[in-house]
Amino acid sequence: MTHPKGFRAANRRYQYLFWPMMALYIVIIFLASHFIDEETSPLGLKVLGAIATSLPILGALWAILRLVRETDEYSRLRHLTALAQGGAITAGIAFVAGFLQIFGALPEFSAFWFGPLFFAAYGLSSCILHFGSGKTV
Amino acid sequence: MKNIIRALRTERGWSQQELADKLDVSRQSVNAIETGKYDPSLPLAFALARLFSRSIEELFDDGTSVASAAE
Repeated sequence: MTHPKGFRAANRRYQYLFWPMMALYIVIIFLASHFIDEETSPLGLKVLGAIATSLPILGALWAILRLVRETDEYSRLRHLTALAQGGAITAGIAFVAGFLQIFGALPEFSAFWFGPLFFAAYGLSSCILHFGSGKTV
Repeated sequence: MKNIIRALRTERGWSQQELADKLDVSRQSVNAIETGKYDPSLPLAFALARLFSRSIEELFDDGTSVASAAE
């Protein structure tokens, strides 16, 4: 299936997928936390809840990657730079936190937080690239 | 890379958004090209050249003259 090309079409397709995925994520988080009990719920329901909660996030990631592929060249460069910076920041913090834990200087915490950290770092990098005056390439 | 995109655009009374719409790129792309922060790809440079009825060499100046480039 072919889609209309260009910045506007790519942006529209991104908006039509990203925000519904975020809304779905909030609904599933609410339902899962309401109906799944960590202690008493059967394992199958826990797995189903975890996968259902993850799917909208995977959908949002897919929307970002599709936007990168379909948008105009300058926007693509900015997104790729922000994704690379976000990934590097996340990996850097993961390594530092990991070694701090290995040497007993930091208590154990859930690896879940690296996902939101990546999105935050990606968003921050996007803002810096958008408002910064530095040459991108 | 220096260019005369802004001069040609304002000559025609177009806003950055109008030029962006004609090229189907973002307004930020037009701004980045005009200010020399971003050098467009060949397809986009050709699209600009066609739109303004100029050659790519007339639109962009990489600071190298034809004579010195041929040496």
